[in-house]
Amino acid sequence: MEDTVSTQKQGKDEDSPSKDKLFDPSVELLLNDFDDEQTLEEEEALAAGEAQDQDAELSNLQKEGNMPLEELLALYGYQGENQENESPEEEGNEEEASIEMSETVENESEPSPQEEPSKLHILYGPIPDNDQDESRLLRSVSRVSEEEEEDYDYSPDEDEWRKVNKTIMVGSDYQAQIPEGLCHYDDALPYENEDKLLWNPSEMYGDTVEEFLKKASAITKPPLPIGTQLRDDEQALYLLQQCGHNAEEALRRLRMTVPTSATDTMNESLWSEEECRNFESGVRLFGKNFHLIQQNKVRTRSVGELVQFYYLWKKSERHDIFANKARLEKKKYALHPGFTDFMDRFLEDQDSRDCSSSPNIQCPGNGKPPPDT
Amino acid sequence: MTKQKVSYFFNPDVGNFHYGTGHPMKPHRLSVIHSLILNYGLHKHMQIYRPYKASAHDMCRFHSDEYIDFLQKVTPQNIQAFTKHLSHYNVGDDCPVFYGLFDFCSMYTGASLEGAMKLNNHDCDIAINWSGGLHHAKKFEASGFCYVNDIVIGILELLKYHPRVLYIDIDVHHGDGVQEAFYLTDRVMTVSFHKYGNYFFPGTGDMYEIGAESGRYYSVNVPLKEGIDDGSYWQVFKPVISAVMEFYQPTAIVLQCGADSLANDRLGCFSLSTKGHGECVKFVKNLNVPTLVVGGGGYTLRNVARCWTYETSLLVDEQISNELPFTEYLEFFAPDFTLHPEVVTRQENANSKQYLEAITKYTYDNLKMCQHSPSVQMHDVPGPAISEDEKMKEEEDPDVRISQDLEDKMVEAKNEFYDGDKDNDKDDSKT
Repeated sequence: MEDTVSTQKQGKDEDSPSKDKLFDPSVELLLNDFDDEQTLEEEEALAAGEAQDQDAELSNLQKEGNMPLEELLALYGYQGENQENESPEEEGNEEEASIEMSETVENESEPSPQEEPSKLHILYGPIPDNDQDESRLLRSVSRVSEEEEEDYDYSPDEDEWRKVNKTIMVGSDYQAQIPEGLCHYDDALPYENEDKLLWNPSEMYGDTVEEFLKKASAITKPPLPIGTQLRDDEQALYLLQQCGHNAEEALRRLRMTVPTSATDTMNESLWSEEECRNFESGVRLFGKNFHLIQQNKVRTRSVGELVQFYYLWKKSERHDIFANKARLEKKKYALHPGFTDFMDRFLEDQDSRDCSSSPNIQCPGNGKPPPDT
Repeated sequence: MTKQKVSYFFNPDVGNFHYGTGHPMKPHRLSVIHSLILNYGLHKHMQIYRPYKASAHDMCRFHSDEYIDFLQKVTPQNIQAFTKHLSHYNVGDDCPVFYGLFDFCSMYTGASLEGAMKLNNHDCDIAINWSGGLHHAKKFEASGFCYVNDIVIGILELLKYHPRVLYIDIDVHHGDGVQEAFYLTDRVMTVSFHKYGNYFFPGTGDMYEIGAESGRYYSVNVPLKEGIDDGSYWQVFKPVISAVMEFYQPTAIVLQCGADSLANDRLGCFSLSTKGHGECVKFVKNLNVPTLVVGGGGYTLRNVARCWTYETSLLVDEQISNELPFTEYLEFFAPDFTLHPEVVTRQENANSKQYLEAITKYTYDNLKMCQHSPSVQMHDVPGPAISEDEKMKEEEDPDVRISQDLEDKMVEAKNEFYDGDKDNDKDDSKT
């Protein structure tokens, strides 16, 4: 952890000076400090949204250029005809079904409201018309703040025929099949081979475990200084449990495994400066499409690792620098109103990126040429 | 009351998925929670499992084959080939196709399924799977960020052993997927407390939805309005669940702890504090019925993490300090770095006392009907399942390599020092 931080600091020193000359970031930094209260997403959206908007738009334009006309039409909402052609039968079925179903449900539940005093009805307030399209979307009914709107570049392209009534549906298409009667498991538990017990607390008690952990940390020498609180070592505890909670045996084994495993995990978990920089340039290009970043920028890590790194990175100083830079770039464009042509901007972007990042792109090992946007 | 045995199911990879830019559902919250749990030392009080990953076959116990087949095949790369299916299965908008989608589903579903199985087998009294609780998924379509309904699949497993399973849902959204799955049966009672009205997602959950056919009166809905606070929530939750216990007498419970009912959630509109939310969990725990606890919604990452960490501590009966321990995610909890920050909300409580009383009475009257309902029979509860020891003895073929799980259990014997192939002192082992 600490090592990561220190590399990040180095990164800052290398990256910042050139940009600092262009614009004094103190106001930005101040602002940045104040939005602690806001949600994570706001900060995220500022950073990622800005960095990615123009690129996303460009790549979309490129895609559209190659698209067949029908797809393009569909993309822009001329989907009515298409949809009807595609699924007239389904439409019929669906509606029939839903009418039937809602009838049954209504019939069933009608009597009770009448028995109930109307007082409840009044308190109940406006009961919404349930077959609104909005009710199919969880997100659309949320309080959408400005920056989220930017994010949501999807268009609500729901098909007409799918706007079924929002009632609980009844029929074999909807309910689960309930197993009849009760049963015993057979000799073998269905999934016994697939799981892994990592720790079982009932075998040992607090003091002994703590003593073990103390001894274990003396062996493993974790990178973080041990404070007053004893930190748990997952690996050591797992080993203890594997040894049938025999502390001595576990310690003995720990001593044997430590040299190799410690260095292994260090190499695995620590990101090199190059990986970090490639990751950042990936975020600039692809936003939070971690799969694309993995494919084009950081092939040495899995997509899962990228996601994990992202969350640690976004709270680091390194990210603040990154976000400020992105903001500055946007400012720069805003200051040149003649600069609205996307192609110009695209080219300029490419140039500046090539200058700044070409030294980092030499990916050893896989020999892939730097990806073009 | 003897101490309940708690098992905790967590796949270390389940947090490393991403729904896409701007999507409020962030699976990485699960990694943050796990890190908090470890650093609070809570794992020392539970059995920790790296769970089974559910297969397509397991998912098809509830979902349609075609739908699961689609989930298995679709990726962001080949999505073009599936354009027709996307809208059919409601995939794309709220439920995007992201990298690793099927893996994600099989991880959280496997954990719930295994939790249910361990409960059936009396391996534990409480099973926790914070990655589960995706209650909107329908039999043949995705909905509200949910693709596979792990709750329904978990309940189906519980039904193998339990005549009556109770489902309680404290997510701010209606638990429509689970309610629909069990709408016609009296073997599962679904009780959901949620915001209802003004087109709030998913649009169902009216108090008049009470179930149908043999399931009539076995769906309980408690619609609430925005801004409900701890006091008001408790005023409804306690009497309703008490009545449910009295009239239904479930033999197992599944509790969905959606944390979007907390104040200041990005999508929710209630004003609960982590303590108020946790109070419900504590109440259910103290009913002393085998319980599967799952997660659910929750879109303000730091609050979800606080909430479920706190609730884990309640479930294992350990007090934890208000000051958060150091974790790699500490910065997310700025500026207070505490477990229970003060709740500041501009949302006004729109639930009047009269409204809450009326809705509680309405629910109570309906529940009374269950008592007289002829369809509740006293089922035979089966004897205890095969114990772990027996299982070991029944290990048949010595030539077949034994599983990791069994191996782990075998070494639990305290006087056994030999430990499998990798043991270095094989020669002097006393076989």
